[in-house]
Amino acid sequence: MNTTTNLDPAKHHPMVGVPVDVLKPKRVRKEVNLTLWEKVYVFEILRGLYVTTKHFVVNMIGFVAPPKGKKRSVFTVYYPEERVTLPVAYRGRPVLVMRKDGTERCVACGLCEKICPASAISIVAGEREDLDRYPVSYTLDMSRCVYCGYCEEVCPKEAIVMSSEYEGLAERDRKNLRYSKDRLLRSEESVKDRIEYIRRIYSKWNY
Amino acid sequence: MIADLIESLAKIIFIFTVNLGFFAPVLGWVERKQSALIQDRIGANRADILGFTVIGLFHSLADAVKVLTKEDFIPAGANKFFHTMAPFISLVPAIAAFSVIPFGGKYTVFGHEVHLVIADLDVGILFVFALASLSTFGVVLAGWSSRSNWSLMGGLRASAQMLSYEVAMGLTIIGIIMVFGSLKLTEIGAAQENFFRWGIFLQPVGFILFLTCAIAENKRVPFDIPEAESELVAGYFTEYSGLKFVMFWMGEFLEIVTISGMVTTLFFGAWHLPFVTDQMLLDFFQFAGPNGAGILAMLVNIATFFGKVVFFIWLQMAIRWTLPRFRYDQIMRLCWKMILPISLINILVTGLVLLI
Repeated sequence: MNTTTNLDPAKHHPMVGVPVDVLKPKRVRKEVNLTLWEKVYVFEILRGLYVTTKHFVVNMIGFVAPPKGKKRSVFTVYYPEERVTLPVAYRGRPVLVMRKDGTERCVACGLCEKICPASAISIVAGEREDLDRYPVSYTLDMSRCVYCGYCEEVCPKEAIVMSSEYEGLAERDRKNLRYSKDRLLRSEESVKDRIEYIRRIYSKWNY
Repeated sequence: MIADLIESLAKIIFIFTVNLGFFAPVLGWVERKQSALIQDRIGANRADILGFTVIGLFHSLADAVKVLTKEDFIPAGANKFFHTMAPFISLVPAIAAFSVIPFGGKYTVFGHEVHLVIADLDVGILFVFALASLSTFGVVLAGWSSRSNWSLMGGLRASAQMLSYEVAMGLTIIGIIMVFGSLKLTEIGAAQENFFRWGIFLQPVGFILFLTCAIAENKRVPFDIPEAESELVAGYFTEYSGLKFVMFWMGEFLEIVTISGMVTTLFFGAWHLPFVTDQMLLDFFQFAGPNGAGILAMLVNIATFFGKVVFFIWLQMAIRWTLPRFRYDQIMRLCWKMILPISLINILVTGLVLLI
């Protein structure tokens, strides 16, 4: 058995989800009425006890003296010490993509501001000397964001993407949740996989 | 005379230490850890002292500290007297019931005969049942006096369930009383010296029925509708906090121990090892002299008894993490339409076999 923490990145990335032919659901008996054997209860209870005892004994052996080279069959994650490798489709906190020279890709077209269902984004557009548009300020209110990913979908410049960050969003003051541009910018390298992924899933619209 | 007094005091202190000092805190840990292992989790392991977690055992200690420092809350409009009384009424019988269960036989040490049972009553089984009925009062009073709808519903369910299962439990045990011809738990234990005379071989149906009724009487999963947390918050002890809450909780754990002790005494040879008679044990320890042999045999028998008790505690906990909760009508049907007739038939068959 694999643990969640032990997901093989080569195998699960960048493919999303489990293929249908891999999932083989067990056949379930759907009759409502119990048979006589089941009505006696005792034998079915013993069967259930066998299953739980099997788990108990197997985990007990793994707990006291884990077999070498085999990870324990525990499916929970020790959160602060262990982290789950998130799939690329995971929608975390939206971030702005930064070019190599340190400026943002965003051209302040305002599409994300328009589509945002929670009105979390507010942009003040400006103009550089070479007549390029750029956001003078880009504010994302994380207390309003619903992580829908519309901003990412609508962005023509791949400038805003959903990252896999999900920590540090608890604050004592709501003002701190209004993220400005400097807190939103992330390098191209760190969101490379996500950009590839959104190119693939939104390709049917032929951007 | 003084020797008798010392003997009684030693036994009482021993049982108190084992039950309240060992089983009550450790069972809380076992319940957490066993459920974790069964469900492929890791379980409690965060409480530590200087970095040592000792596989989560300090959680019991942390629980104790938390409970002692918590506010003792009594809801407005509740009957203060009964609200305070109820946890005591449900805890004290759970402690007292163990007094008639023998945890060893008779031994002669330094010319003094030691009976390893606190109170060797002639009606030991009835005493246990009487105390089990008393704990119903605690539950009903807790439900009624809290002035909460959840508590009241829990108390009502508990009273109906416990009264029904008391009737059935009394009948399931008649078979074993008929076979051994005694209500005295020490005599029943002593009669099971021969491995093939253990209660489980004489009354297999009685064993299953008794265990079912006992778990229902203790209100544990699969029969825990009085405290069904998905419907009634925490049932009859919704309005309790701090030490009083823990008294209900400890009462439940001690009842598990008592049930395991009863099952061991009635059906699984009490303090006897399989295929080993008392005389064989004494002969085996002959090298330690007559007194030493008695003491060693006593220790072996106590260890055997508590080993069996621990196994049945484990079994009850495993049942808890195996079965889903019964619906209310299913519980009543199981009691009145299945267990009661089957135990009556069991009594009839036992009687016929004994006559022939």
